[in-house]
Amino acid sequence: MTAPLILLGYALLIGTLGARGLQRAKWPDRSPGLGILAWQAVTITVVLSVMLAGTALALPTLPITTDLADLLRACALALKAHYATPGGVAVATAGAVLAAGVAARIGYCLAAGWAMTRSHRRQQREALELLGHRHAGSGAVVVQHSTAAAYCVPGRRGQVVLTTAALTTLDDAEMAAVLAHERAHLRGRHDLILASAAALMAAFPFIPTFRTAHAQLARLVEMHADDHALGSSDRRVLATALVALSGAAHPAGALGAGGESVLARVQRLAAPLRPLGRGGSAVVLLVAAGLVVLPLTVAAAPAVASAALDYCPVGFPA
Amino acid sequence: MRQFGELEAVVMDRLWSWDRPVVVRDVLKDLQRDRTIAYTTVMTVLDNLHRKGFAIREKDGRAYRYRPAHTREEHTASLMEQVLAGSGDRGTALLHFVERMPADEIARLREALNSFEPSKEANGR
Repeated sequence: MTAPLILLGYALLIGTLGARGLQRAKWPDRSPGLGILAWQAVTITVVLSVMLAGTALALPTLPITTDLADLLRACALALKAHYATPGGVAVATAGAVLAAGVAARIGYCLAAGWAMTRSHRRQQREALELLGHRHAGSGAVVVQHSTAAAYCVPGRRGQVVLTTAALTTLDDAEMAAVLAHERAHLRGRHDLILASAAALMAAFPFIPTFRTAHAQLARLVEMHADDHALGSSDRRVLATALVALSGAAHPAGALGAGGESVLARVQRLAAPLRPLGRGGSAVVLLVAAGLVVLPLTVAAAPAVASAALDYCPVGFPA
Repeated sequence: MRQFGELEAVVMDRLWSWDRPVVVRDVLKDLQRDRTIAYTTVMTVLDNLHRKGFAIREKDGRAYRYRPAHTREEHTASLMEQVLAGSGDRGTALLHFVERMPADEIARLREALNSFEPSKEANGR
């Protein structure tokens, strides 16, 4: 009974204090790639811990053994004992519902979100095929429009799209920076990172951690793509392009809510931060891996312990 | 129907350039001036365009007459309206280079742009 409680407590701790700490930390802006990994580790840990807690409630502790016959006998004995205790059935059912419910809810939201995304993209590609034309040289699709904008349609045949106004607003160097940024999105499949974060947010809208994670991931993938663009472009050129294309909100369009994150991107280009060193990166990687591994160990611990004890039914003479 | 993508663009261009409804044979004749193409292919392409909402067709005797549902400009405008409006929360279908922002936010961005260290001034504009 302790393992499920520890797991739920752990999920709560990581989902509140852990997420808040990561949100306040300054290092993700320095190394956005590691920041993305850290946020993914936090969300996966929360989900995994809750599901493991449910599973641990539903299933009695089974000792670890390589002998199938032993395992089956132990299983039968343990199940009998588990369901014989008062309230055992209720607790087990609650656990099963929790684990299966979380898995089903996430699966459903992932599938629904993905279906929607795919249909939006297909519409985009079909319309672009008829309305746009290829930009000689860059391979981007150009659409006749008076608002300067650049975006990409991710997928296996990812496309970068520019408006004619963007072509006239940006000079060649700025254009190269924009293209490099968008290609980094496409190559890194940043859309998949955001799609999974959005699915979690949609699955559990009442959990603020997932909303924060989605917002932070959206900001970090932009910074990550900016850093890629800096491989071939100057900082000031990229920042100028950012400011040029964020201008003059489209009258019919909703205003972007991410003003702060765009400002942070420009400031970050203006006063470059040193990326995390080898030591710092190693710490982030270890902590991220530890976050995910810990609940697995907690869930498995009672089984390991019972295998080690000699009053355990495994190996009983028949 | 992917293989018709390029052909659909060509046919739609023709539909936009004519200001009258046309039958499959009109399009076929026009296309055959610079390529070999079968009647059924043109028919399929026009049918696709109709299905996707780009072309409208009306029965005229035994054949359909096709014309564009909207002008190219109208289509582009509505496409871009969707794209630009979607920079916030319309899921993750598209990734934008930068979100569009109101004027006062832009002023703060320009300020940040001016804060670039002077040594880099020579590289910029």
